[in-house]
Amino acid sequence: MSEHQGDGGEGGAYTPVGTRRTFFGWVTTVAAGLIGFGLAVPLVGYVISPALKRKEQPWVDVASPDELPVGDPKQLDHVTTIQDGYLKAQSQNAVWAVKQPDGQVQVFSPRCTHLGCGYRWDGEVKQFKCPCHGSVFNIEGNVVAGPAPRPLDRLPSKVENGRLLVVFKEFKPGTKDPVEL
Amino acid sequence: MRIYQWLDSRLNLKSVERTLLDEPIPGGTSWIYVFGSATLFLFLMQAITGMFLALYYAPTPDHAYDSIQFIEEQVTFGAFVRGLHHWGASGMVVAIGLHMLQTFLYGAYKPPREVMWMVGVVLFLIVMAFAFTGYLLPWDQTAYWATQVGLNMVGTVPVVGEFLMKVMRGGEVLGALTLSRFFAIHVLFLPALLVSLIAAHLFILRRVGPAGPWTDARASLSSETFYPRQVYMDAVAMLVVFTVIASLALLVPFPLTDKANPADTSFVPVPEWYFLFYYELLKYVHGPLEPLATWILPMVVILVMLFWPFIDRNPARNPIRRPVALGAGAVFLLVVFSLLGLSLKNLYAVPRVDPAVARGQALFAQFGCAGCHRIHGVGGAVAPDLSFVGDKRPDREWHLKHFKDPQSVSPGSFMPKFPLTDPQLNDLTSYVLSLKKTP
Repeated sequence: MSEHQGDGGEGGAYTPVGTRRTFFGWVTTVAAGLIGFGLAVPLVGYVISPALKRKEQPWVDVASPDELPVGDPKQLDHVTTIQDGYLKAQSQNAVWAVKQPDGQVQVFSPRCTHLGCGYRWDGEVKQFKCPCHGSVFNIEGNVVAGPAPRPLDRLPSKVENGRLLVVFKEFKPGTKDPVEL
Repeated sequence: MRIYQWLDSRLNLKSVERTLLDEPIPGGTSWIYVFGSATLFLFLMQAITGMFLALYYAPTPDHAYDSIQFIEEQVTFGAFVRGLHHWGASGMVVAIGLHMLQTFLYGAYKPPREVMWMVGVVLFLIVMAFAFTGYLLPWDQTAYWATQVGLNMVGTVPVVGEFLMKVMRGGEVLGALTLSRFFAIHVLFLPALLVSLIAAHLFILRRVGPAGPWTDARASLSSETFYPRQVYMDAVAMLVVFTVIASLALLVPFPLTDKANPADTSFVPVPEWYFLFYYELLKYVHGPLEPLATWILPMVVILVMLFWPFIDRNPARNPIRRPVALGAGAVFLLVVFSLLGLSLKNLYAVPRVDPAVARGQALFAQFGCAGCHRIHGVGGAVAPDLSFVGDKRPDREWHLKHFKDPQSVSPGSFMPKFPLTDPQLNDLTSYVLSLKKTP
């Protein structure tokens, strides 16, 4: 009998061979594949789904534009509640607001474009100065000196019902052009 | 293939492969032998889905419920993964039950396989411990109150019960410490224990060999290798199990009840179906006899099961020549399934009405809500039909805000504010949330 394969044991163990063996092997592989696929697809989606979600940043009321002095940048608190997974978390940031002579308000991200340090306003020389590596920006946010690769990042802002509203965004430091994170 | 050959030349894998796959099965392969591997498969699936659930789960009373809700509602495939874990648990109890039944029928626990049986019984108890500790983790009302009952039952054990209950609870109340210790036991202690005992179970199986048919004549007639046919049967069985569990996970939602509220004593907890027979038993035993049902009887049953190979000394494996053993087994199953059936009948014959829902319904009538809102064809049609509002808007917080100040959540609504006290507000919300397609 070609389908018998003695292995020298007691009476020998029968092992299907030929096409039967191929069939059993094939079905086993298909079953394993279906289970693997049925688990892998949902589990991969399960793991990566929060990574693909964009953080939604709302317009936040930061101040009344009337209170801002022209030509004197002010650091304003930007407080908002963001969804951190299943938690509601308070997100606290600060933004720099500069009122232009024409009444328009320019809002800058509080991070230096070089490596992300917080910079400050030096009223004496009318310049933004970063303490980490000595980058200097003028009141328009343009680079005056230091390693900063690009002007200060501008944040979307608008005035509605007499209030200044700002959307907070983060940008990648160190690049020539602003890249939103 | 070339990688395999390279590894084989270093590690001598071929001989391992032969040891694993060419194991002779006395009497040949059979579909009746698939239950053990189905159980093993379900355990692996529980382990994998459990690890993934732990990515988002937070084992603290502050966040456990929210994190599960996050998995259910926000995470892609989250409800499916949780569904697999939930139904997989039930599947595991079924698979173990069938595996034990088959072992019992075939007399496969008899010498030389007594130790394998005993390890198997301990494995079964560990799985029940998994079920009990896992039930609390969602921290919803069902979880909280069912565990409360479970712990109180431990408390009825004479002398040591009170102490034992406190140790399990981690203190005076069912709270943060209980949740974190149940979580640690569920995901760290029990898996370690289970994996070691599964290894022992399989090690013993390979040392003594599979039992095969109950007549030695048939067993010695022929023998077949484990691979390829038994592997094929096991694989098909696993695929069937996976398909069933995945379909249940997709088609039967397993929603959360309200967040655990220790103050709300009106909630009637129901344990999982595999604990129902025990739950039912307790209804018939009261007063001084209660410890008999809560711990003496289970203790006796567990001990009898554990030492069964030494109690049943009949050397025959053929069921026809074992009337006493089979009779005892049948009586045991009859009792368990009668209790389960009775319990299911009681649970579903009378739809359970949450007292809060009834009070809410009375408020709905009292404030004349039906003047504008229609429910199942009764009431005005000016405002939204509320027949299935519980499905459309399951968020409790929304309703609480809405009743206080309708315009705050749905601007432009002409619904008036109603002067409700906080308990009234809760009751009315419970009633509105109970208006669902599937009660």
